[in-house]
Amino acid sequence: MVAGIAPIDAYPIVGPPIDPRASRKGTRGEDTAMDAALRLTCLARIIALTVVAFLPVGQAAAQKQGGSITVGLELDIAGFDPLKVGVFDTSGTMAASLIFDTLTYLDENGEAQPKLAQSWTHSEDYKTWTFRLRPDVKFHDGTPFNAQAVKFNIDRQKDPKNKCRCAFYIANIKEVEASDDLTAVFHLTDPAVTLPKLMTIPSSNFVMQSPTAMLAKGDDYNRNPVGTGPFVIKSWTAGDRLVLERNAGYWDRTRPYLDRVVMRPLPDSQARFASLEAGESDLIWDDEYDSDNILKAKNDRALKVHEYVGSGATVYAFNTKLEPFDDVRVRQALVMAIDRKKMSQALTNGLSRPATNPYGEGSWVKCTDDGALPHDLGKAQALLKEYGKPVKFKMLVTATPRGRASGQVLQQFWKDAGAEMEIEQVDQTAIVTRAFARKFDLTPWRIIDLADPDPQMYANFHTGSPSALANFSNPDLDRLLEHARATADPLKRTEDYCAISRLLNKEAIWFWTFQNTYYAIAKAKLKGLPKLYSGVIDVSPTWLE
Amino acid sequence: MLGLAARRAVYLVPVLLAVTLLTFLVASLLPGDLAYAILGDQATPETVAALRHDMGLDQPALWRYLRWLGGVLQGDLGRSYRTGESVLGAILGRLPVSLQLMVAAEIAAFVVAIPIAIQCAARAGTGFDRLATGIAFAKLSIPSFMVAILLIYLFAVQLRLFPATGYVPFGEDPLGNLRSLVLPALTLAIGEWPVLMRVLRSDMIATLQEDFIALAKAKGLRPRRILLVHALKPSSLTLVTVAGINIGRLIGGTVIVESIFALPGIGRLLIGAIYTRDFMILQGVVLFVATGFVMVNFLVDTLYALLDPRIRHGH
Repeated sequence: MVAGIAPIDAYPIVGPPIDPRASRKGTRGEDTAMDAALRLTCLARIIALTVVAFLPVGQAAAQKQGGSITVGLELDIAGFDPLKVGVFDTSGTMAASLIFDTLTYLDENGEAQPKLAQSWTHSEDYKTWTFRLRPDVKFHDGTPFNAQAVKFNIDRQKDPKNKCRCAFYIANIKEVEASDDLTAVFHLTDPAVTLPKLMTIPSSNFVMQSPTAMLAKGDDYNRNPVGTGPFVIKSWTAGDRLVLERNAGYWDRTRPYLDRVVMRPLPDSQARFASLEAGESDLIWDDEYDSDNILKAKNDRALKVHEYVGSGATVYAFNTKLEPFDDVRVRQALVMAIDRKKMSQALTNGLSRPATNPYGEGSWVKCTDDGALPHDLGKAQALLKEYGKPVKFKMLVTATPRGRASGQVLQQFWKDAGAEMEIEQVDQTAIVTRAFARKFDLTPWRIIDLADPDPQMYANFHTGSPSALANFSNPDLDRLLEHARATADPLKRTEDYCAISRLLNKEAIWFWTFQNTYYAIAKAKLKGLPKLYSGVIDVSPTWLE
Repeated sequence: MLGLAARRAVYLVPVLLAVTLLTFLVASLLPGDLAYAILGDQATPETVAALRHDMGLDQPALWRYLRWLGGVLQGDLGRSYRTGESVLGAILGRLPVSLQLMVAAEIAAFVVAIPIAIQCAARAGTGFDRLATGIAFAKLSIPSFMVAILLIYLFAVQLRLFPATGYVPFGEDPLGNLRSLVLPALTLAIGEWPVLMRVLRSDMIATLQEDFIALAKAKGLRPRRILLVHALKPSSLTLVTVAGINIGRLIGGTVIVESIFALPGIGRLLIGAIYTRDFMILQGVVLFVATGFVMVNFLVDTLYALLDPRIRHGH
């Protein structure tokens, strides 16, 4: 299948997309009891972090030193300079997790842990975060990693002259201040109660690159990146292989375990799996559209399928300003006509997990009642009958086999309910353009797996945000989003987000089909692979048994 | 002979101009441009306009073409907007892989096609002939991506004789280099030999009816000598033409085969450039491929003259 070269789901991996136009309408300072609770959790966290900072990282099992692995990627890596590539795609992020470090990382429980930052504190309003950096860390070129380097990385992305696409995702960061060599202070425009979690992704925004190398190499930096990470680039043949070797001077003396990692773009999914079977690869990236091979690998004892159900989902947005979607009955009817189990069976042999809310199993937000509309064809038909007028509309789909297949399945469900949907195939980049210009009736979209729902929920549903695609405004919704954003107590935030889910499901302005599930298939002897947060396969802590 | 070559070389210029201009126009008709590809989900009308201006994409297509052409004439194919690498460097880095693949495939196709065609022509209408043409027909009907997957499954996964994917540079490991090319070249050759075989077979059957063959037979020459020495050369005119034209097909085939076998060649570069709307790379590759194609056909024309003296003397 040659179409594997540019799959629709090769979404770029990004940090928190924070609405740059979002303005805070006064923080909720009136609740003093809450503030006290915030301070307490904050203090507890600092203590916990300080303890963790002195523990050796990852000493759970008997790791073996040495060995080399080959990783089969989906796409060619374009490069690592944020100004050139904007955001890293899945392949770029996987390589970035080896070459670079982030300030923090997510542990197996989904909590932020120290990496280049040893500890952190925040102001009461969560708009200032102070990171204490690890001393004696050096970039691969020998220059020191310090607060000035953190500032340089963020400033360079945000500089309007550089016009970096990456800047959008850190619009919430007003300024980074290097108050001394080892203290970086992040000043934010809006409160971010979980900033350290959001900075864990090795995306173009949050990996720390050498300022000296970026300045010295100019145009050539993109393909000659310099980080502080556990591996150093040995050689890179474009389109063929990126060879990484152990960084002998890595700040974590116990790591990495592997001597060498070879990353190879293998665009064809069948050939990629064959390379694993033939023993040429030790780990491959995969997704649920390659369900035959995933199911096959699950029955193979020499292989292990690493599966991670993240937060977020594949979603669709109605344009509620246009007929017939200006009527809630039509929207509800279409959502109720969808049989997700059947759809999953048709598209991915049943691998796709139905989604009933925008958060998913991988999110810390767990709702006892998310207000999901049930699959009920009879009710859907009745609602459309009640609406009275014929329901005809177009849906955008990506012009790929996957996009068409999803569109055709939905088309059939809606036909059964009495609605006529026409599939409009467009290029993936055109979907984005059309969506932002609101030139659509119904468009596919994606909520990616992030450690916190706030950035995307706020951007997708707050009145006036560019990606609030449904053109829908509801004061209750805005209030809940603002409250959840500025609240630290997870229980209170869960209440907010579940109320938001109930509201969204009831109004049916967006609907969710399947949760984000990420796959890596590896040899069983490869151990220590962490959870595939945001779909990133980070092989830096792995070892061969 | 030199005059012929010069006349042919003059034809090269308008052909290349037409091909590159057409590519430029077709590329500018593609929905979504590089600015959208780079900006992705941040493609607001304002940011797109600003980026398009920066990259000069807001200029008329014809003007951009002329500017590009001006650069090419000075030996500058530009730089990729996306990765910053020089277009010429990117192409030259990947050209050896594709060339090696195509040459290996063409040789393999000839090695299979010629003996079978000769046998079929000599025994036209027999069971062997029908079997061979039948197989050729069947092979012609199987798409290359299917053949590739079947070959990978058999030779790489089951028998573990050859690698399933990847490329080993010749300088690094000559044997590994050849091993890495076996399956991709075979995939292309399997699509290629039936065409060559059928063309040579029918020409040869016609040649074998000619008077001079009857004379050779009457003189008592051995059938083997008649086939290989007297009949093969006059029968190979169409074969050479088809082989020349097939270079185009072969280049198309490398695009698919390189993607499946993950070979870092021109085909992969082209596919990547199309998907990311990296027009500088796209234009550069098309220019190279078109030049190569025209040059091969030019060589084919020259070969005609060697194979058939009538052409050489302008008859």
